[in-house]
Amino acid sequence: MDITFNNVNYIYQENSPFAHKALENLSFHIPSGSFVAIVGHTGSGKSTLIQHLNGLIRPTKGEVRIGDYRLTHADKPKNLKELRSRVGVVFQYPEHQLFDETVEKDISFGPKNFGVMDREIRKRIQEVIPAVGLSEELLERSPFELSGGQMRRVAIAGVLAVKPEILVLDEPTAGLDPRGQKEIMEMFYSLHQEEQLTTVLVTHSMEDAVKYADQVIILNKGSKYMEGKPEDVFTQQEALNKVQLDVPEMIEFLYAFEQRFGKAIPFKRQSIEQLADQVYQSLKEAGVDE
Amino acid sequence: MNNSLIIGQYVPGNSIIHRLDPRTKITIIFSFVIFVFFANSVPSYGILTLFAIITTLVTRIPLRYILKGLTPVWFLIVFTFILHIFVTKEGSVLFEVLTLEIYSGGVIQGLAISLRFFLLILITSLLTLTTTPIEITDAIEDMLYPLNKVKFPVHELALMMSISLRFIPTLMQETEKISKAQASRGVDFRTGPFKERIKAVVPLLVPLFVSAFKRAEELAMAMEARGYQGGEGRSKLRQLKIETRDVFVYILFTCVIIGLFLTRTY
Repeated sequence: MDITFNNVNYIYQENSPFAHKALENLSFHIPSGSFVAIVGHTGSGKSTLIQHLNGLIRPTKGEVRIGDYRLTHADKPKNLKELRSRVGVVFQYPEHQLFDETVEKDISFGPKNFGVMDREIRKRIQEVIPAVGLSEELLERSPFELSGGQMRRVAIAGVLAVKPEILVLDEPTAGLDPRGQKEIMEMFYSLHQEEQLTTVLVTHSMEDAVKYADQVIILNKGSKYMEGKPEDVFTQQEALNKVQLDVPEMIEFLYAFEQRFGKAIPFKRQSIEQLADQVYQSLKEAGVDE
Repeated sequence: MNNSLIIGQYVPGNSIIHRLDPRTKITIIFSFVIFVFFANSVPSYGILTLFAIITTLVTRIPLRYILKGLTPVWFLIVFTFILHIFVTKEGSVLFEVLTLEIYSGGVIQGLAISLRFFLLILITSLLTLTTTPIEITDAIEDMLYPLNKVKFPVHELALMMSISLRFIPTLMQETEKISKAQASRGVDFRTGPFKERIKAVVPLLVPLFVSAFKRAEELAMAMEARGYQGGEGRSKLRQLKIETRDVFVYILFTCVIIGLFLTRTY
């Protein structure tokens, strides 16, 4: 399903002294099957944006289209539940939503609400548990006995078990150790590739955005500040610094390299290994002593 | 979040009412609540209404916001009025609705009680609208201080109050966050049979309790780590001080009360 925002405005507590504009004239398009990173400073409207994607809130002005579903201020789709079954949202610190007696029951909670048959749910649990890197022994345990990282994985499994077509991730790796962060991001990326999941990733990590996204949207104070391919967006250091964002480490390195040796290596989202090779080649050409 | 009810909500501002000592505000509002019941004639009600309205205007909080915030209360006021019209049988019969006779006494009493009710709610909501919860707690602690003599744990009570007040918004945010997360997992809190909706509360309450207990434990630990030992010998960050404006307001209010007693009928 495609996601389209047309001039979306969202105001919290409209007509009160606390009225607060969270989104302003926001328009963008996310084609089906792509991986989009939404980046912005705290308070830039990222979380508000996410809540539009499965109809938790509706725009104050403007229009949101998700596939055939249309959300405006006046009308909400009648089949809101169906929309929510097709758009899975992993909220920030999703482990806070766990409540059931066992891990298995908690994972089944979503699919059950959306009317999936018990047999099918069991099958999905079998698929989802290894996908998030948990072992089946945990299924009978209480989710509250698990470690923070495991709880996070259970919560993610609960969203994946619904089999959404669009996966929305709100800083899914916040508060995890570096290894857990990498594992979870890799898992989302392979899901995106294998199942053609449209993935919307909200993140603070420029590194993740560069590594996984096909398209980057930068938000500032509720409006779109920049949009484009990561290699185009992230090379504009000055523009990014203006909204208190840093460029990814790799690009910072390329800048420093150019200044030090007067040789530019273009950024094409190469891996660290490729980059090391290029640096080696470039220095060799320049005749710098090893 | 429920945006329609404003009782308990604080609206930041810089009016003289905002800057008054919270003890002054509590004292005056408390006495106002008592004196409202002494009014019994048109001019005496007029004086109190005028006082309430002027105070409201002075706060510079948008009138529309206050009135809209009292929407749920309007219902109660209208209900009281109607009840009085039908139940009170004093004075002369004004007219008949179906078989019910409407007495003039009923209309007058209905109006009086509704107005009293409105004044009470307006003036008490002004307290929370213009005073931060922390100020209110400080004032209460200060005003209850004499009870310390009879071994009443005033400081602990005030601490409990300020902690609970402090965490109300946090808990509300948490509730909203978790209910949104569960709604995304297909829970429907709003429609469906009553029994189903009760059941839908479980996935909301369990995580709320878990996080509330966790938070309480963390808070206790953090307080202990910073050497908190209770109220004894503890100095205050925010000192309450009676200023000229407080004295001025006391004098003004006394005049209002004198006016009330001069105009009421005996």
